[in-house]
Amino acid sequence: MPNESSDLVQGTLDMLILKTLALEPMHGYGITVRLEQMSKGTFRINAGSLFVGLQRLQRAGLIKSEWKATENSRRAKYYTLTQQGRKRLDSETREWGRQVAAITRILEASS
Amino acid sequence: MLRKVGSGLRSLFRNEQVDRELDEEVRAYLEMAVEEKMKQGMSREEALRAVRLEHGSLEVTKEIVRSAGWESLVETLWQDLQFGLRILRKSPGFTVVAVLTLALGIGANTAIFSLVDAVLIRMLPVQRPDQLFRLINVSKEGKTIDAFSYPTFELIQENNQTLSGVIAFHPLGIVDFVVNGKGELAHAQAVSGSYFTTLGVKPILGRTITTADEARGASQVAVISYGYWTTRFNHNPSVVGAEIVLNGAPFAIIGVTPPEFFGLEPGQSVDVSIPLTSLALVQPQFAAAGSPFDVLTAPFRHWLHLMVRLKDGETEVEALANLGPVYEEAMRQAAEGLRGLPFNSPSARSDLAQSRLKLESGSRGLAALREQFSKPLAFLMAVVGMLLLIACTNVANLLLVRCNSRQSEIAVRLALGAGRARVLRQLLTESVLLAAGGGGFAAVVAFWGSYAVANIMSRSTSAIHLDVHPDMRILAFTALVSLVAVIVFGLIPAWRASRFDLSQAVKEGNRAATAVLGRSRIGEGLVIPQIALSLVLTVGAGLLVRTLENLKNSYPGFREQNVLLFSIRPGMIGYTDAQVAELYERLLEQIKRTPTVSAVTFSAFSPLAGWSGFTDARVERYTPRQGEYPAISVNFVGPRYFRTMGTAVLLGRDIAEEDRAGTAKVAVINEAMAQHFFGDRNPIGRRFTIPGWKADTSPMEIVGVVENAKFINLRDQVPPAAYIPFFQSPDSFLAPNF
Repeated sequence: MPNESSDLVQGTLDMLILKTLALEPMHGYGITVRLEQMSKGTFRINAGSLFVGLQRLQRAGLIKSEWKATENSRRAKYYTLTQQGRKRLDSETREWGRQVAAITRILEASS
Repeated sequence: MLRKVGSGLRSLFRNEQVDRELDEEVRAYLEMAVEEKMKQGMSREEALRAVRLEHGSLEVTKEIVRSAGWESLVETLWQDLQFGLRILRKSPGFTVVAVLTLALGIGANTAIFSLVDAVLIRMLPVQRPDQLFRLINVSKEGKTIDAFSYPTFELIQENNQTLSGVIAFHPLGIVDFVVNGKGELAHAQAVSGSYFTTLGVKPILGRTITTADEARGASQVAVISYGYWTTRFNHNPSVVGAEIVLNGAPFAIIGVTPPEFFGLEPGQSVDVSIPLTSLALVQPQFAAAGSPFDVLTAPFRHWLHLMVRLKDGETEVEALANLGPVYEEAMRQAAEGLRGLPFNSPSARSDLAQSRLKLESGSRGLAALREQFSKPLAFLMAVVGMLLLIACTNVANLLLVRCNSRQSEIAVRLALGAGRARVLRQLLTESVLLAAGGGGFAAVVAFWGSYAVANIMSRSTSAIHLDVHPDMRILAFTALVSLVAVIVFGLIPAWRASRFDLSQAVKEGNRAATAVLGRSRIGEGLVIPQIALSLVLTVGAGLLVRTLENLKNSYPGFREQNVLLFSIRPGMIGYTDAQVAELYERLLEQIKRTPTVSAVTFSAFSPLAGWSGFTDARVERYTPRQGEYPAISVNFVGPRYFRTMGTAVLLGRDIAEEDRAGTAKVAVINEAMAQHFFGDRNPIGRRFTIPGWKADTSPMEIVGVVENAKFINLRDQVPPAAYIPFFQSPDSFLAPNF
């Protein structure tokens, strides 16, 4: 696993966070772990980038947060997807599909 | 550097509550990561090190999160600017064209705005100009006049209980200003003793005129302007106390007004001010001291502009309510004062007694220049506004075309996940750079442009002194216009470019992708207003040129080629009527002897000077129609006037050498006058009088008829006019043109 695997395509981290939170409310570390698991270790999120992303999403009203106790009875901030966030995830997922297809086609055409 | 500024500012805005929460959250996160590692069998130390390697320390993480706030915005803006500059440098042709186009558009707007500002908007450079109000006299019929008699001024001043000040002033026009035996012309005004103190104009040297200087018999004092102090006295501080001679009368300079003070009439600059009570020394004919026409006593001579300053907190309505009765009383006294004087009649008295007072804001000074130029300036403003729109559409089109070549760049950026807003911002940043460049050059364009237009507005006969130097307000205006320009020309192409449809571009292959942005409907849409605006301007310009052509080709009724003009005013230094006549004869004689001069003459009013004499006329054996008061234009001319001017004599003869004092009084009339008063009959030998002009009202015999020559300006209908030999009624008040 190369080290720069944490370099996500710009703008996609938000989408991935939204996707993770779509399953259940989660705290920051939980999101990191879940992302790592789901990408089978390809994406490893740096804490800094994660919190920046979380703040950005929260400011945009796509997620909301509250303090809760974890399973290990530690206090952590849990993030939940808002209605707006759910919609955004849907549209971004569709857009992503189109872009990937397009980029793939460009790459194939020019080779 | 920017980073430092950013962090400094950030600490100001940092919210402690948010900070604490962030601290706790990140701490929990790292703790969980450590626990996870420990579960996998690491020791706590190893786990801590691993986590720090992966995520950085607590502080570093917090710093990253914090800086993702608005500081990053500043940083990307900086990047955008640098990138924008690089891009613009890469295509110098485009940049130069765009910047110059914008500079022209913005500059023209700024230049005209600085004039609009100077003429229409800017307040007088005095204390609290908003408290100043001009007095306006409204007659029974609703006619307004802003001229009052001296007795009225005195009455208002004496009976005023509420105002903080009443001032009176009278522009004297040009006077002969002699220092150390050398004479020069200067613009003068006569002011009341309250003038400077009420306006709050403090001298930068010496003192200003006060009410003490108004006392009759007080020493004659004068205050000069900063400008005159500069040009005539070279900033010499010993100017206070200097002896000067104004129109032959001795005065002492007592002070210098500050640089920004130009008087109360925008467009006029006053060089020297004297007390109203000294007027008789400078313009004895006008002042008519001691006669029934004395300007300081005659209630029927309305010659003063009056302004009042309200008390703090006093409203215009309150002031008018307080001042109204005072004014009515003044008018009643004036009407009574008419008895036994010239112009006394029941109707004149009732006119006076029934006139009312009106207040008008005086914060911008007198309105003469505003009235004259507000329409042309508004028109110019509209024209340059259109010019700017054209410039903007041009640049917008250029930007659109440029977007084609940057297609692949934009596509890649979008594909790599740059948000539309991000791309939009980058493109707008470039537009802002263009506009900033344009605005910078525009300041230069505006600088000489405003002076050029001010010079055009100012005719040779009456120079207009406008303070059009660019100040902060003008620069703010330029910045605002530039900003508007950015929005107009930058937003559409940027929005268009960022809406670039990636998948469609890809589908249509590389070549087709170039076309997606290319012939956009917006590009075509821009052409329509562009053509429309250009058409309007072209038609407007065409009409102007046509009017100029017409005026140029119109025959003014004299040959304007090879005519030289000059004027003198010996009356100003006390030449009497008889001396004046003698002087002019000598001048004519000497000029005639100059070999290169084919003919010489003079007239009181030079043709097309913009003004002329106008008077009632009584024509013998002519009965005016009901309600007609026959009036004609009059000019006083020297011998051989028509031959010199090249105006055709249709009947009879020119004014001749023999028409002088003592010989039979004659006049030459123009076709329009012949037509009006005599129809088809021969006017030669008929007689008419001009009542009220000088004491001698004996009739003049018509000895010639000349073709119509334009009088006041090229556009005017030629009025019925008579030309009277100057030497038959010499008048030192007139300033003849040779």
